[in-house]
Amino acid sequence: MNYFPDEVIEHVFDFVTSHKDRNSISLVCKSWFKIERYSRQNVFIGNCYSISPERLLRRFPCFKSLTLKGKPHFADFNLVPHGWGGFVQPWIEALARSRVGLEELRLKRMVVTDEGLELLSRSFVNFKSLVLVSCEGFSTDGLASIASNCRHLRDLDLQENEIDDHRGQWLSCFPETYTSLVTLNFACLEGETNLVALERLVARSPNLRSLKLNRAVPLDALARLMACAPQIVDLGVGSYEDEQDSESCLKLQAAIRKCTSLRSLSGFLEAAPHCLSAFHPVCHNLTSLNLSYAAEIHGSHLIKLIEHCKKLQRLWILDSIGDKGLEVVASTCKELQELRVFPTDLHGGGNTAVTEDGLVAISAGCPKLHSILYFCQQMTNAALITVARNCPNFIRFRLCILEPHKPDHVTSQPLDEGFGAIVQACKNLKRLSVSGLLTDQVFLYIGMFATQLEMLSIAFAGDTDKGMLYVLNGCKKMRKLEIRDSPFGDAALLADVNKYETMRSLWMSSCEVTLGGCKRLARKAPWLNVEIINENDNNRMEENGYEGRQKVDNKLYLYRTVVGTRVDAPPFVWIL
Amino acid sequence: MENSNSYSPYSSSSVDSTKPSPSESSVNLSLSLTFPSTSSQRETSQDWPPIKPRLRDTLKSLRLRQRGYNTALFVKVYMEGVPIGRKLDLSTFSGYKSLLENLSHMFDTSVICGTRDSKNHVLTYQDKDGDWMMVGDIPWDMFLETVRRLKITRPERC
Repeated sequence: MNYFPDEVIEHVFDFVTSHKDRNSISLVCKSWFKIERYSRQNVFIGNCYSISPERLLRRFPCFKSLTLKGKPHFADFNLVPHGWGGFVQPWIEALARSRVGLEELRLKRMVVTDEGLELLSRSFVNFKSLVLVSCEGFSTDGLASIASNCRHLRDLDLQENEIDDHRGQWLSCFPETYTSLVTLNFACLEGETNLVALERLVARSPNLRSLKLNRAVPLDALARLMACAPQIVDLGVGSYEDEQDSESCLKLQAAIRKCTSLRSLSGFLEAAPHCLSAFHPVCHNLTSLNLSYAAEIHGSHLIKLIEHCKKLQRLWILDSIGDKGLEVVASTCKELQELRVFPTDLHGGGNTAVTEDGLVAISAGCPKLHSILYFCQQMTNAALITVARNCPNFIRFRLCILEPHKPDHVTSQPLDEGFGAIVQACKNLKRLSVSGLLTDQVFLYIGMFATQLEMLSIAFAGDTDKGMLYVLNGCKKMRKLEIRDSPFGDAALLADVNKYETMRSLWMSSCEVTLGGCKRLARKAPWLNVEIINENDNNRMEENGYEGRQKVDNKLYLYRTVVGTRVDAPPFVWIL
Repeated sequence: MENSNSYSPYSSSSVDSTKPSPSESSVNLSLSLTFPSTSSQRETSQDWPPIKPRLRDTLKSLRLRQRGYNTALFVKVYMEGVPIGRKLDLSTFSGYKSLLENLSHMFDTSVICGTRDSKNHVLTYQDKDGDWMMVGDIPWDMFLETVRRLKITRPERC
């Protein structure tokens, strides 16, 4: 390859798109490093505090797409207080000052402001794609800037963000001449929507493929929208509360029949039970179905819909479907790859909507299944062993038994053997979440067998530090480890400090680590940011002299970084 | 795969003291959120089970609606011109349609929402501010929160 001119090598590199592969080729030699960095189009930064915008721009001067992630994963479950960090503003400002021709920005769990969105919209002439997932801090005014100024916008994809809805006219800020919309997802907006502006926008967007509406879009508007966008591939239904057989309902049914390209269905945020039947004509083409917000729809209606969905690859559903419903899924959806079953009863009221039987049925019926997230009230080792035998191809296996410390409900044993069978059979397992009654033994199995594991979530599990040590010593590819309410302490934390350089981050909350232990870790590993999130007024902790033995009151979050301590931490975050 | 630890934290005779049980949270210096053991405390846990806020809110409001079925919401109903009123439990109705059907049956006349009509009686309500309003403009759930009493008016009054 040394005899080829740089342009040829660069052309070859164009075919290498995965981040991991590009990182590898940049390590081959100085020449490849240089060619690679000038030609890298997509940059992925898994932790926005691991590097600074300036260093990013020094290494990659020519990228077009940036993905940034901010808060740790447990922030999704209210474990990270407001104001912790993850601000995108410095990034947008640095990029705006540079000469990068940014076309795409994808943010996850970050704090975004209207000012930032305004700056973004004015700074990059060719900006095409904005994807915000689980972000917060901005309002519809920021969306108005994007709509007004981004002439070449293709995607505006807002997934599960906290957006201050000023019920304004952001949709009418798209110019009349603007016709290049491909993706529009505003399902997470809570306020009123300008239906006229929305209909006009959709009518002048021939390339529109993905449209996800919020709950303020009623049935008759949906019918009109679908009538002028029959090319739609991905639809998120907003509100669906009309009476059966109303005129709007009939119009909608007619419009749906024309949507022969429809492959993905979601939404039903406010849905009357009968509404699903309108979609039966297109079910045979559906590959993705997300009914996880349709809490009012009874299992029987869900089952009737799914019976038509023979090509389904992805299904997100509530446990109201029941074990019987999962058996229907198992016998109908032979192409199923990903299943998520969410709980409807958060308080363990004894309603056993789905049990281990549903999980076993799915594992037996769906040979292509590789990702599962399953909330349930009870589980058995026998069931997990059967699942492992049926499905050795799991890449992601997340089981959440709602009641912590709950044992095998038949034998009263811990679930160590069941999870052990999973990790032993599934040689490609990259992500695992464990729950139920678990001893150190399960972690011995994980350390021994889960060689490809990159992310592990632990809650209310284990007995001693040995558990955590098995994992840290065994899982060579571990990147993200998150632990809550488990008896792991300083000995496990400090045993192998260098391990954390091979990982993106570690989270430990309500465990047995002490402030003294965390400080020792911070001293030993200056390449780590060791943060304590302290929500209670415990500034007096050190003064009392209990420091060394004081349990870390709340949360430990540590991560590797090349830019040292961050400067934007709020007062309740101690960086050691 | 022999399991060497044979105990059950659920039996009173052998309690593993290293396991953080909910009752230890008061002894611990740690003030963190350990999983509460009583059902009333469970109601307020915001971080377990691990579901996203949007789903949590959806399920909460669903549960409130379902629970609302058990708490009665009796309001007085008067027909204009009739001095003696009736009492009606609004929580038994799923929406405006079933309310109107029931009122029409109860008062043996056609009762409707909204549009002025020379033939039909129109339903109005007094909200928590004391104002008299037309029934049917706001979502049913919101209506249940604000309604204080009902009046079936003669058409020309509106």
